[in-house]
Amino acid sequence: MTKYIPILALSAALTATGAAAQDKLTISVYSFAQDAYKEALYDPFEEMCGCELVIETGNSVERMAKIEANAADPVIDMAVISSHDALSLARKGLLQPIDTSKLQSFDKLYPAAQDPIGDSMAVGYTFYASSIVYREDLVSIESWNDLLGEKLAGNVSLPNITGTQGPLTLMMLNKAEGGAPGEFGATISEIGKHADDIVTFYSRSSELAQLMNQEEVIAAPVGRFAWSRFKSSPLPFAWADPKEGQAGGMNVMIMTANNGNEELAYKLMDYWLSTEVQTRVAEALIDSPANMDVKVSDEVAENLTYGAELINSLNILDPAVIIANRDAWVNQWNNEVIR
Amino acid sequence: MFLNRAEGLALALPAALFTFLVFLVPVGILLSVAFQAESGAWSLQGYVDFFSEPLNQSVFFRTLKLGILVAGTSAVIGYAAAFCIVNLPATSRGRIFGLVVLPLMISPVARTYAWIVILGRTGIVNDVIVGLGLSELPIRLLFTETAVFIGLLQLFLPLMIISLVSAMENIPRDVVPAARVLGASWFQVFFRVILPLTKEGLVIGGTLVFTGALTAYITPAILGGSKVLMLETLLYQKVNVSNDFVSASVIAMIVIVMCFSANLVLKRIASVRR
Repeated sequence: MTKYIPILALSAALTATGAAAQDKLTISVYSFAQDAYKEALYDPFEEMCGCELVIETGNSVERMAKIEANAADPVIDMAVISSHDALSLARKGLLQPIDTSKLQSFDKLYPAAQDPIGDSMAVGYTFYASSIVYREDLVSIESWNDLLGEKLAGNVSLPNITGTQGPLTLMMLNKAEGGAPGEFGATISEIGKHADDIVTFYSRSSELAQLMNQEEVIAAPVGRFAWSRFKSSPLPFAWADPKEGQAGGMNVMIMTANNGNEELAYKLMDYWLSTEVQTRVAEALIDSPANMDVKVSDEVAENLTYGAELINSLNILDPAVIIANRDAWVNQWNNEVIR
Repeated sequence: MFLNRAEGLALALPAALFTFLVFLVPVGILLSVAFQAESGAWSLQGYVDFFSEPLNQSVFFRTLKLGILVAGTSAVIGYAAAFCIVNLPATSRGRIFGLVVLPLMISPVARTYAWIVILGRTGIVNDVIVGLGLSELPIRLLFTETAVFIGLLQLFLPLMIISLVSAMENIPRDVVPAARVLGASWFQVFFRVILPLTKEGLVIGGTLVFTGALTAYITPAILGGSKVLMLETLLYQKVNVSNDFVSASVIAMIVIVMCFSANLVLKRIASVRR
């Protein structure tokens, strides 16, 4: 056995120098637009830092489960996620506060993005509006209430309650009915009464795009990030501007607790929030900027959730309200809507 | 026979090991999760919780109903088709039998997506309905129980036909003419001659179709969506949306029990008829 010890020591030393030469940062991201992200963000960052980025993708549930399962010895150093998922991870003690002094572009962020879930546990990097996409040759949409109205009966789809878009739709329907903010019980019952008029409840925006392109559905609420899927269709789709306004959401960056790779993670966050990268990501029509200094052409802006006026007008649902009520909403939804 | 015991064991070992590692061990783990409470103690609480939810009850009964309907309908269609096939001359029998088997060689995903083209609002069925003036506008056929039923029937009918054809091929050639000569009606021929002689094929076919309908995921997911949940689509949601592995294991166990029970019930019915 002793004769192997020098070999083991040598190989260990080689591995160690290898690691030092190539630092590694593991991030967890949404699985959409990864090719575009590679070009706009990952490749330039790797070149700049001389490090290796390991990208993990999946749906929010899988990604959150992985962060939670590896809490003792974090695999993921940094993640991007919805604000309410971030809050739920923060409450489980899985995140560490972000030292915003390490982010040069921090002051350029919209105020709503600077501390969206409190205690500096997250920083917003993109906003999105949510409204109703519809066939303008067949219907017109003036209010969120139209979703449950006579003219769309049998031709409308709503987002499932379990996704990010579900609670936003509840919020806007509740607002249209004049309900108390955050109290969605009556709204869910109302959807339950119209359940037969709803073709299906979709889970992913790609699924909705397919339904609408097959003419199975002529109107549905969806996030603006999916607009390019509809805009490129031969069918005449339009984006509604309902009288109650548009809903809005934000995705945020988070840092896992005790990951030991904070320095590199801050480098990536700083780079991602910089005017240069936020502009590049916006021009590639991937994510709308949270950095106020980003300037894009009218044509690009038309595809995004862009500009102070629009962003400040969005109806945002408090992440704490979502976390506090989601189980009750899902229960009521399962009993009154899906049945 | 010509092998000694050691050689026989050696030959069986790879298959036995494979089955043990990739089937029995995972099923064992699944069983243990499905009968444990959060504290780790043995418990049936998961089942009590599952059946106390009205949504789960309706999903359970819908799955059972569609399973029985699909198996029953494919038995009716299957007997007619199988009777026709075994009475064809040998060459056309081979060709027709090939056509029955052909769909099994096409991916269920492709076969299910084909139904979207057929049943969609811009699909063939709606073209006919609107063309004949039966409805002014295309009607909604997708995302209904009917769509799931049609999709599952198309998916599993060949299994029933194959089972019944091989059962009917074993019926002595003269028994049907003999029964007819002795004055039996076609109704009597079927119930007193063909059915008793092919019941084993019916048990096998029925079990395959019922089990297939219960465990299919793609078809209910695509043609039923989130409004027509079946146990398999609910199971997927539990894992992928709620990250709730206990409920998922409970559902998996329920499906396993339903499949075994179906086989036992069918065998029982077959033995009573004897």
